[in-house]
Amino acid sequence: MKYYIRLGFVLLVIAVISSGILAYVNSITKPIIDENKRREKEEARKEVLPQATSFDSLTFLNGETAYIALDRDKIVGYTFVASLYGYSSEVKTMVGLDTLFHITRIKIIEQQETPGLGANCSKSEFQEQFSGKDKTEMQVDKDGGSIASITGATITTRTIASSIRSGMEIMEKKIAETDLQTGEENER
Amino acid sequence: MSMIKEFSKGLIKENPVFIMALGLCPTLAVTTSVQNAIGMGIAATFVLVCSNVIISLIKNFIPTKIRIPSYIVVIASFVTIVDLVMHAYFPMLHKNLGLFIPLIVVNCIILGRAEAFAGKNNVIKSLADGVGMGFGFTLALIVIGGIREIIGAGQFLGYNVLPLSYKPVLAAILSPGAFLVMGLLMGLMKLLKK
Amino acid sequence: MEFMSKIFSLAIAAILVKNFVLMRFLGLCPYIGVSKKLDSALGMGMAVIFVMTMASTFTWLIQSYLLIPLQIEFLQTIAFILTIASLVQLVEMIIQKTAPALYKALGVYLPLITTNCAVLGVALLNINEKLNFIEAILNGFFAGLGFTLVLILMAGIREKLDKAEMPKAMKGLPIAMIIAGCMALAFQGFAGLKF
Repeated sequence: MKYYIRLGFVLLVIAVISSGILAYVNSITKPIIDENKRREKEEARKEVLPQATSFDSLTFLNGETAYIALDRDKIVGYTFVASLYGYSSEVKTMVGLDTLFHITRIKIIEQQETPGLGANCSKSEFQEQFSGKDKTEMQVDKDGGSIASITGATITTRTIASSIRSGMEIMEKKIAETDLQTGEENER
Repeated sequence: MSMIKEFSKGLIKENPVFIMALGLCPTLAVTTSVQNAIGMGIAATFVLVCSNVIISLIKNFIPTKIRIPSYIVVIASFVTIVDLVMHAYFPMLHKNLGLFIPLIVVNCIILGRAEAFAGKNNVIKSLADGVGMGFGFTLALIVIGGIREIIGAGQFLGYNVLPLSYKPVLAAILSPGAFLVMGLLMGLMKLLKK
Repeated sequence: MEFMSKIFSLAIAAILVKNFVLMRFLGLCPYIGVSKKLDSALGMGMAVIFVMTMASTFTWLIQSYLLIPLQIEFLQTIAFILTIASLVQLVEMIIQKTAPALYKALGVYLPLITTNCAVLGVALLNINEKLNFIEAILNGFFAGLGFTLVLILMAGIREKLDKAEMPKAMKGLPIAMIIAGCMALAFQGFAGLKF
């Protein structure tokens, strides 16, 4: 019996020491990880709406904040994160919209799709085709929309297109509700 | 002298991947590009060296009955450190390697070396063994990653090395390519050994 | 009805489309190591299905009711691997006491399962893919089933292979990898299958 208590004790000591070390490492790295995530999103927002000088939070969408993009007090557009499960991972896309709800640019911020196929969605050639389109066009060309599918990765393309479309619908509704009076803002 | 021997055996003669067929999962999963291969190699080498050293230091205090769980805790701690540090300082690499960072815990090379070597030898020898095995592992990853990246994307470390008219064979990057390249390399190593 | 279709799509994904061994590269060591004989492959497969289902259940509970409330998610790797190791030990002891015949069949494979990365892999994937409790358990079960399927297929092929003629250097492991490659190529055909 005494022997088994000793066994348990040795294991406990090892576990306590390693948890202590890990808690210490975690306390150093956690702020950096959080900061990286925040900065990455901030940069993505600026990339999809470069003319904006500041961002005001609007609502929550897919667990991320959606923003109103401002150039001083003038509303120049909106950003949100579209997110859906693709072929083998959650695909997250930062989407920029202008005041008429046309896409300014998109940027894939998170994906773990198949290398060589779905992962090609991070290439700029693919992302550029979204610019200037509205939500009715957010479908793969095979399904009657105007998004050219990535070769061998229709599922990934479809996921991105439909995540953006549903995000745009929610954004439009939210913005109409919040009564931002974009027209008036633009005249000023 | 013996240190050099412990170090160099991991590179070719007892190469953990090609000869002993250990740690196959990360070897095949992350070698879609050379960059990922190097990242995984360094991460695993760090864990291997640290756990080898610590285990050879504490081996006399650990009763044989709870040897394996103790080793696992030590290894898992170092893996978590690598995971956190990589997440903080190399977020892109962390994203690419994904699930296979925590899975270093169950990489048979590491527990295998702890059990077969570090649990029986002194610190210096265990250190040399860890570094050698880690290098051997990294070397194997780079070779496989290089072949797959060149055939599958026409690139090496992200730079185009083949003429643009070359049409990449996608299958090399997809999972069948991993197995085929690995099988042929293992056969080649066996042929050369004789 | 929606629940049934969800289960069905989980099964298709875990067994065929994203087969743990051939598509996700998890559990390769036992896949190559224990596929020389059909009956041992079957034994290993059964043991893995059992442990994977149990591991999915317990690690999900630990993550949701221990790690997240206490905000110690950074201990996830240690907590999960220890859970799996003790689970395997426990299963071994229970089977040994209650079903000696089963123990004889599975006994040698059980200790190997702790370091089978498919087990830790499914536990982590359940959390990463935000599955709920029931889905996590089923995912563990189906993933084990997928593992067993390809393990048995491989064992069947390798038993025949012993009699085949081939270059000496390719015998054993190398040819097993090539066959795995061919199987992966075939499984690639399931890509895009979705319900």
